Amino acid sequence: MSSRKKVLLKVIILGDSGVGKTSLMNQFVNKKFSNQYKATIGADFLTKEVIVDDRIVTMQIWDTAGQERFQSLGVAFYRGADCCVLVFDVTAPNTFKSLESWRDEFLIQASPRAPENFPFVILGNKVDLDNRAVSAKRAQQWCQSKNDIPYFETSAKEAVNVELAFQTIARNALAQETEAELYNEFPDQIKLNANDNNRNRDGDNCAC
Amino acid sequence: MSNNLCDLSQSNEYLSFRSSIPLRKIDVDADGFKVWKIFDSGPKSVTCPLICLPPVSGTADIFFQQVMGLASRGVRVIAAEPPPYWNIKEWCDGFKRLLDYLELDKVHIFGASLGKWICSPKVYRINKELSKILCNTFTDTSVFEYNDSSALFWLLPSLVLKRMLMGNFTAEKVERRIADSVDFMVERVESLTQSELASRLTLNCTPCYVEPQSLHDIPITIVDVWDESALSSTVREDLYKSYPHAKLAHLKSGGNFPYLSRSDEVNLHLLIHLRQFDGTALTSSYLSLHKMPPHNQLQSDEGTVSFFNQRDKFVKIS
Repeated sequence: MSSRKKVLLKVIILGDSGVGKTSLMNQFVNKKFSNQYKATIGADFLTKEVIVDDRIVTMQIWDTAGQERFQSLGVAFYRGADCCVLVFDVTAPNTFKSLESWRDEFLIQASPRAPENFPFVILGNKVDLDNRAVSAKRAQQWCQSKNDIPYFETSAKEAVNVELAFQTIARNALAQETEAELYNEFPDQIKLNANDNNRNRDGDNCAC
Repeated sequence: MSNNLCDLSQSNEYLSFRSSIPLRKIDVDADGFKVWKIFDSGPKSVTCPLICLPPVSGTADIFFQQVMGLASRGVRVIAAEPPPYWNIKEWCDGFKRLLDYLELDKVHIFGASLGKWICSPKVYRINKELSKILCNTFTDTSVFEYNDSSALFWLLPSLVLKRMLMGNFTAEKVERRIADSVDFMVERVESLTQSELASRLTLNCTPCYVEPQSLHDIPITIVDVWDESALSSTVREDLYKSYPHAKLAHLKSGGNFPYLSRSDEVNLHLLIHLRQFDGTALTSSYLSLHKMPPHNQLQSDEGTVSFFNQRDKFVKIS
């Protein structure tokens, strides 16, 4: 594993609709914010190069639709994820309560190798608003109970903590990626013998 | 005999593809020499389909997973394999005639490692292109090294040409799906004739000046694979520089033939690319690509593996 190899980190943002997933991504990638709310339709992604501990890595950040009816892209976008960002709105307690099910959903869909160690990051967004309903303490407690998930209070609108949060996301994703690569040092057994026609019936999860 | 076929050729999805979609041979010059081979799937009412063009080593059927996967989303997909053309102009004329024959207004092109020439101004002047998805130009890029000897390709025996191509295929220490895709491609190379191989290699080694500016007004997605077997990072960076406005769809792994080894991810990127034309006259599908298709359309036959057809794998959030 050479350190010169360019690294691609796949990050997935999940959370209820309207919590600011798209805005956070736009703030981080494009340094832009719009007050105009537009529901995300279908998942989409942006890429950005960042430097983590002197390494240039490319983040592929997937923004998803919070509304079920737009979830049209299936499992392919969960595959190979290195970090999952769960977002809630600090002014809307329901979005905080949903975190648990988003986390479960992710673990089911992505089925990472070591679910208990998979890196999540929680973002409590919209801290610029006055009508706060979920306290920082409550959010932190929940994060601690889930194997110490890092927690950030952000405002996509005023660019509060966004950069910092994504730095952490990138760093944790990189650690995950490196670990995943270690596993890949031991690839599946390959039979190059074409006569062996048993091999597509081994119950591998490949597409055959 | 069938025992000697590779796994993908024997897979249910491939067999289902071959048994449901006919291979059409279209003689565009009506002289019996220039015959395009195509698989045309999806509603004929769609006049702006996605056209998949294979790499030097490929045949039209290498896109079976795109055809099958996108069909369930209502996309008309045409996998097209050109007859031997020896220069870009001939190719363009032939391609234009094919589009005219099929009565297509405009097309979205999914080009699998076609080499630089596909972006040359001459191709662009066909003027029927709406958008482009470029995928892994690796194999052909390394073949570019043969620039000097390309004038001699036409007289090399097919065995030599096959060796030149297959020398680029890595099969050591790769995971199963990639190994399967290589096996499948080796089988396709074996099926190609000397003139098919020689003409494609010649075309790919033709030096041509690419004016990226000419492409700036059409949407482009570059799908590339970041594992070691694929493109070197310098080649990739060059590609990005040529298309600064392109959407970059990186895959972590997949080898040289991701449309075979990572078909679900490639299909996902194709969908995201095609989705921007939703609801316009230029759409490639009769359905909205933004919405999940109704469930009855997902009643898949066994043998369709693309994730689009796997109902239970759809994201359901309560």
